[in-house]
Amino acid sequence: MSGRRTPRARDAAAVEQPIELGVLARQAGLRITLVRQYVAFGLVEPCGGTSRAPLFEAGSAARVAKAERLRRDLGLNYAGAVLVCELLDRIRELERNG
Amino acid sequence: MAVDYKDYYEALGVARGASQDEIRRAYRRLAREYHPDLNSDADAEERFKEVGEAYEVLSDPDKRERYDRLGAQWQARQDAPGGGDFEDFFARQDFGGATTAEFGDGAFSDFFERVFGAGAAPASGPLRGRDREALLELSLEDALAGGRRRLTLDDGRSVDVNFPAEVREGQRIRLAGQGAPGRDGGPPGDLYLLVRLKPDPRFRRQGDDLVVDVRVAPWEAALGATVPVSTLGGDAQVRVPAGSSSGRRLRLRGRGLPRRDGQRGDLYAVVQITVPKQPSDEERELFEKLAAASSFDPRGTRR
Repeated sequence: MSGRRTPRARDAAAVEQPIELGVLARQAGLRITLVRQYVAFGLVEPCGGTSRAPLFEAGSAARVAKAERLRRDLGLNYAGAVLVCELLDRIRELERNG
Repeated sequence: MAVDYKDYYEALGVARGASQDEIRRAYRRLAREYHPDLNSDADAEERFKEVGEAYEVLSDPDKRERYDRLGAQWQARQDAPGGGDFEDFFARQDFGGATTAEFGDGAFSDFFERVFGAGAAPASGPLRGRDREALLELSLEDALAGGRRRLTLDDGRSVDVNFPAEVREGQRIRLAGQGAPGRDGGPPGDLYLLVRLKPDPRFRRQGDDLVVDVRVAPWEAALGATVPVSTLGGDAQVRVPAGSSSGRRLRLRGRGLPRRDGQRGDLYAVVQITVPKQPSDEERELFEKLAAASSFDPRGTRR
């Protein structure tokens, strides 16, 4: 066998660094104030940083964008959009374990 | 560019004379049913767009009136002999819609933009697009070596993806920006590739280890031998120690699949003693001699 070195893949979540609120907002295409709303409703929770400069998991932008799509498209309020996202998570979990 | 006529009433499943209330109800029900974040069917996204566009037109009295007028004339034209396509028909009407053939990549169809103008779609503000997921089925060799693959996604789009070396079953590979497009200039979502390893006729998978049968003659098993065995990197030699019975597992360290810790699993060659189905006269004679001379009792029943 050759001793050739190839780049190794890691599981996506393992490599990605936590992100700041501003980065989260930019990745989601939203204003920071709107993202703060979703943080206040507990859709995404800080995974580190400080209370003034919290850090969020790398996948948070996709989650916030999903809630915002649902809110705009279905005429929901923030609490409703957050609830739908949480129920979707639970369905996914049940389907995975079922 | 050929632009087709769209029947917005049909898209919402309402009658031509439907009230605003009926239109709103139909839209809300269909929006929930086909929202791509709630419905993973391949055609949900397309249906959702159709429904949203139909609602945008039919819920706005001005747009609806214009659309109805256009529809009546289009219908009359269709009923007359010599039909023709919509684009040709539209070019001769004066509806004051888009005068240029420049269509944006807007959320709404070319038909909508042709009739109402490219700026007529309501701006909702930038928003990131949905993440998408696709299955990446790999042979064991490809999973080890990495490479390039053309994938066809749910929406019919094909993407060329480079996947890295040493990927594992169930691993998710993220391709940034390859998901659904964003809205109003928002960033696109990501594409996640879910790795599935295709079954391999040569090997059985046990976690990160591989198992392969290695067939040996009775005398090779009894006396020991070095025999060829299939591995992911081509054939290798494995030493079968003297006195190996069927089922003995011989480990080839590091010849298995990639492990989470960056090492590789092992390959187990399982000894399968195989006898000649039709022994020659000489072989039969020698086996008979061996049977007579041997006191070996494989079942351990002799006391």
